[in-house]
Amino acid sequence: MKNKIKVYRAMHDLTQEDLARAIGVTRQTILAIEKGKYVPSLDLAFKIARYFQVTIEDVFQYDEVHITIEVD
Amino acid sequence: MKKNSFYLLTGCIALTLLGVFWYSVEIHNPLLIEIAFIAGVVLIGLARRNVTDLIEDERCAKITEKAALRTFQVFWVVLCAFSIGAVMQILYVPAFPREHFANVTARPPEIIGPRLMGYFQLFLLCLMIFLYVGFRIYYARKYGDWEIDEE
Repeated sequence: MKNKIKVYRAMHDLTQEDLARAIGVTRQTILAIEKGKYVPSLDLAFKIARYFQVTIEDVFQYDEVHITIEVD
Repeated sequence: MKKNSFYLLTGCIALTLLGVFWYSVEIHNPLLIEIAFIAGVVLIGLARRNVTDLIEDERCAKITEKAALRTFQVFWVVLCAFSIGAVMQILYVPAFPREHFANVTARPPEIIGPRLMGYFQLFLLCLMIFLYVGFRIYYARKYGDWEIDEE
């Protein structure tokens, strides 16, 4: 799961601490989401998107994994 | 209550429990430390509810949940293995020679004595704590607890 939280933060001139406080999580959680270490729940994803007044798809992009099945 | 006050209170309770433990060893009364331990845990739980600046979000909850689940998955196997050994103590019937049946004082030999069982319990307790702490560190690391900030 890729995300543009860092970009949106920069656009709104927000620190991780500011965003974390605004949506009620720890700064470490924002950092973990930005780095792709933690995938947020739908609830938290909505909160982040609503905070920036954009859709979830604008902030989060589902990383499609193409699996090639070899047929003998 | 502030977070630091809560940690201070937890430390005080832990030290008190340590004192109660030694005292109950001295007077050989295990009930005292058992009641004190439950009271201590309840007190810490109540104090934790009143902490105002401690944020526990979904990532923290997930780390706790995963660590607890993995600890349980490993621990129940070890606990069952030891428990089966203890059950053997109840079920063990030695094959006495026929003449021993007349002797009413004959007792089956002890497989696991109460002292050894105490050591087993201590081992299980330590194992549970180490497993939980280990898994917690692992999952905290996995979910970015010690990530370096680029800001």
